[in-house]
Amino acid sequence: MTEVLFFIEVVVAGLLAGTMYSLVALGFVLIYKASSTFNFAQGAMVFFAVLAFVGFMELGLPFSLAFVVTVLLMVLVGFCTERMVLNPLMNQSEDTLLMATIGLGFVLEGLAQAAWGVEVRRLDLGIGDFPIEWIIDVFGLFVSALDLTAGIVAAVLIIGLALIFKYTRMGLGLRAVADDPGAASSIGIPLKNIMLLVWSAAGVVALVAGMMWGARAGVQFALVDLALKALPVLIIGGFSSIPGAIIGGLIIGATEKVLEVYVGPFFGGAIEGWAPYVLAIFFLLYRPEGLFGEKIIRRV
Amino acid sequence: MTGNSENILEINSIEVMYDSVISALHDVSLNVPKGKIVALLGGNGAGKSTTLKSISTMLAAERGKVTKGSIIYDGTEVKNQSPYEMVALGMVQVLEGRRCFGHLTVEENIIAGAYSRKLKKSQIKDELEKIYGYFNRLRDRRKSQAGFTSGGEQQMIAVARAMMAKPKMLLLDEPSMGLAPQLVAEIFNIVRELNQKEGVSILLAEQNTNVALRNADYGYIIETGHVMLHGTADELLNDEKVKELYLGISKEGRKNFRDVLREEANKKSA
Repeated sequence: MTEVLFFIEVVVAGLLAGTMYSLVALGFVLIYKASSTFNFAQGAMVFFAVLAFVGFMELGLPFSLAFVVTVLLMVLVGFCTERMVLNPLMNQSEDTLLMATIGLGFVLEGLAQAAWGVEVRRLDLGIGDFPIEWIIDVFGLFVSALDLTAGIVAAVLIIGLALIFKYTRMGLGLRAVADDPGAASSIGIPLKNIMLLVWSAAGVVALVAGMMWGARAGVQFALVDLALKALPVLIIGGFSSIPGAIIGGLIIGATEKVLEVYVGPFFGGAIEGWAPYVLAIFFLLYRPEGLFGEKIIRRV
Repeated sequence: MTGNSENILEINSIEVMYDSVISALHDVSLNVPKGKIVALLGGNGAGKSTTLKSISTMLAAERGKVTKGSIIYDGTEVKNQSPYEMVALGMVQVLEGRRCFGHLTVEENIIAGAYSRKLKKSQIKDELEKIYGYFNRLRDRRKSQAGFTSGGEQQMIAVARAMMAKPKMLLLDEPSMGLAPQLVAEIFNIVRELNQKEGVSILLAEQNTNVALRNADYGYIIETGHVMLHGTADELLNDEKVKELYLGISKEGRKNFRDVLREEANKKSA
């Protein structure tokens, strides 16, 4: 019985940790949908956002105000990106844009560290990385409060975004642009505004993801590399699908934890680091569009 | 030349270059009178699409540029406007190959056309009803994903979507492409109805000379970036050269364009 309970615990911990991957992946999906570009700067945006947030807190701003100011800052970053990087490169190939996002990543990393310094910060959200007592009492499971919070936050964010895309004018514009930017601009949908919206949304998602990760692992440069974990998530879930990012994150989170605990000892441990990539390779071989990626619709 | 208020669109000998080196149009002039249908005819690569795109300013997206001449639409010169600004001025282009948003439903596609008008929900509903009045077939299909509808339906979606922007002028690029004759007739009937009831002026590029001239008031024929011939639709339909080259009706059997040019040259030198 304890064996089963332990297994469930591992899976639950994995799923909840997976929502954190989902959060990072979500930022990628937003930008990929609108501009078919893999935004290599997403990791840097996560780092930039949460470092700025901690920086504002250190300046003495209360939590909520620091959050609002950082959101505004991320909107500004989105605006500058659209004006200074994307707009001049309009109508260039996707490869050009990809390279531009790599450059943007370096700029953001540099700016963040120039402004706030390079030392590792602690971020205290007031939620500990400890098991919640009533869950231990009722189910006999050890579930971290931070994991659970991250899961709930991710869920709210995702449902919110899905509703915006489905039911608002801006959301319809975004989906139209994602489908065919040329046709969208021919009927008067301003690509500029849509890009601004998408980059701002990706910035806010980056901030939330950064806060969750920062609270667990400390606010540090390593957050940039963490974004790479989003790559297998996206390959499994599909680059263009928001539900895909979520499910992909959950799958990666759960499998890597289960593998780490049950298979890890045979390899001397630490297979968490590469197991997701192995999984991703299998997906690339057998289902390259991912679980939820939009298939190219062809009429026969 | 300019200032003729009878015309909603006046193009004065424009030249268009792609990538600053490839010249696509050399000398194209044409007028579209208010409330009329004008057909722009010619074969592949003649410059029909380029002409339309230089009017709607979609040319910039393909690194093309109007290097000479002028385009006057509704009293304003078309220069550095964005497609978005042109739509706001009432000029909408229906791109070649329909270009529906495949993953959106038919209705979402049509509603997207009203994006620039910032309408309320109730107004959108009224507009939709009006549009479905013209495109009955789309009403039944409104919940289906646009990517899975037939070619004719997609062409209707594209025109309906453009009409939602409430254009004063519509640019149609090859509405007949890849469609069965019956569907082509249906679509042209709708286009004529829109022209008459909504008063929208239309410039349409077509390869299907016969159908286009039967539905248009006036026609221009362009080849390799030049206007070769123009006249009222009836004049063109009865013109011997047009009959031979574009309608395939000839007393002496088939001929190609080069032969005719050679004959003309021979006549001149003789």
